[in-house]
Amino acid sequence: MSQYLFQQIINGLALGSLYALVAIGFSMIYGIVRLINFAHGDLVMIGAFSTLALVTAGVPWPLILVFVLAIGAIAGMTIETIVFRPIRGASQVTGFIATLAVSIAIQNSALMILSGQPRNFLFPAFMRQRVGFGGVNASLTDIAIIVLTLLLIGGLFLVVYRTRLGRAMRATAENLTAARLMGVAVNRTILAAFAIGSALAAVSGLFWGGKFGQIDPLLGFVPGLKAFVACVIGGVGSIGGAMLGGYILGLSEVLFVGLLPQEFSGYRDTFVFLLLIVILLIRPSGLFVRHTEERA
Amino acid sequence: MLEVRDLNVYRGATHVLKGVSFDVRQGQLAALIGANGAGKSTTLLTLSGLLRPRSGSATLRTDGAELDLTRLSSEKIVRAGLIHCPEGRQIFQSLSVAENLDMGAYTQRDRAEVCRTMEEVHTLFPILAERANVAAGSLSGGEQMMVAIGRALLAKPKMLLLDEPSLGLAPLVVETIFDVIQRLKSTGVTILLIEQNAAMALEIADAAHVMENGSIVLSGTGEELASNDRVRQSYLGVAA
Ligand SMILES: Nc1ncnc2c1ncn2[C@@H]1O[C@H](COP(=O)(O)OP(=O)(O)OP(=O)(O)O)[C@@H](O)[C@H]1O
Ligand SMILES: [Mg+2]
Repeated sequence: MSQYLFQQIINGLALGSLYALVAIGFSMIYGIVRLINFAHGDLVMIGAFSTLALVTAGVPWPLILVFVLAIGAIAGMTIETIVFRPIRGASQVTGFIATLAVSIAIQNSALMILSGQPRNFLFPAFMRQRVGFGGVNASLTDIAIIVLTLLLIGGLFLVVYRTRLGRAMRATAENLTAARLMGVAVNRTILAAFAIGSALAAVSGLFWGGKFGQIDPLLGFVPGLKAFVACVIGGVGSIGGAMLGGYILGLSEVLFVGLLPQEFSGYRDTFVFLLLIVILLIRPSGLFVRHTEERA
Repeated sequence: MLEVRDLNVYRGATHVLKGVSFDVRQGQLAALIGANGAGKSTTLLTLSGLLRPRSGSATLRTDGAELDLTRLSSEKIVRAGLIHCPEGRQIFQSLSVAENLDMGAYTQRDRAEVCRTMEEVHTLFPILAERANVAAGSLSGGEQMMVAIGRALLAKPKMLLLDEPSLGLAPLVVETIFDVIQRLKSTGVTILLIEQNAAMALEIADAAHVMENGSIVLSGTGEELASNDRVRQSYLGVAA
């Protein structure tokens, strides 16, 4: 494989990892409370700035990863408890508008506290070197993002498919009333879904900063939107679908820019949405959702 | 064991239950019959804490404890041993048969006891052991009903609410299910059974209540109601 193509693929997989981490949480939240959570992307920003604060405070990196997961989880649970829980049972439009309001509130608070000035964000120097394998090489940052994301997603799948909590979350997502009849405290289960989904989004913010080198209070918008697209591609409500949708989106974006002549690179996002429309035309319920389990 | 007094329940603006009162004694199999829309399912939903009454009470007495179901969360009601097997089965289609049964045991902490109950359920419904790893949604209607009942049994009910367990099932499956209901009764589980098939229900019931338009209009033993003219005409399809 040529170095160029290899580099593009690694780059696409790293970007796809970022999208996948955000999309999974987006999908989990939609799956369990049928909420299109427009504030989900802002957890990415919260994760990125928390990382910056922890780096400044001199916290070692492995611990930062743990703290950022925890901060994301706490932020997600807080939003669910004070905003989304009280309006549960209201119409989907109400819910959607509430998430928009939360997003704007988070962004404006961040702008006030942090100012709109972009901040530099650096992984430690050794993370920024390139590592070679048999004639090709890639950035260690990208490789670390890809590997850590796979580990996190692996952990998530263990929780969702192998634990009592995960089983209760899947049951609640499918049939909330029946889950209550099993004695599931559904509010706690929903809270857990928000915690896990938001923790993953926050970590994606840590990676986002490391990959792009700069962060600002509005950086959550793009990943939030892309997560939505990734979910629609993969089938909203399906965790595996959201993950694959994220990778497909990341890879195709990078390959679109990398393999076509320079003049096209400005059409990157146009391409993303064209892809979305084409997929919706071919498979309205998403690529990875069988029609029998189609979600509303 | 269960004492329902003057329940008034609204669904949206509709006054669905209009002063429902009845009792179910410990160990009894009680049938609740009535036409479509009479309010039978609404009654069960209220007992399991999914609907809140405007007024009235529902008291469950088990092991010396006295609980007002109209004030408890559905979770606490399940933990108290009142298990509701809902209308339309409501199994978790995307979960495997085994996972559905595990969901039934969600509140059970004693793993050894859960394993024992699981074996009992597999003995009652061998097909559930065979298809343990299959998505429950791919089963036939009868098999799904077995999942729903098996799931309820894994919750170790002291009192079981069954909402139309025979609906839409082949006669052979209905027989299996009625066998299981009677077997459960013989192990001491108190049962409140809603049935479209009033004849079958009255045959096995110790007591029965007839619901019309949101109120109980007639109560008696299964035999009494089976020979009551009004019941025979309206629910047993016997010409006047
Ligand atoms: N979600 C709801 N919102 C408003 N009204 C409802 C709702 N569900 C049921 N109802 C009304 O409540 C009344 C009683 O319904 P319920 O389901 O309790 O009847 P049922 O006796 O169980 O009937 P069936 O034999 O058809 O199951 C009906 O008139 C129905 O239209
Ligand atoms: Mg009903």
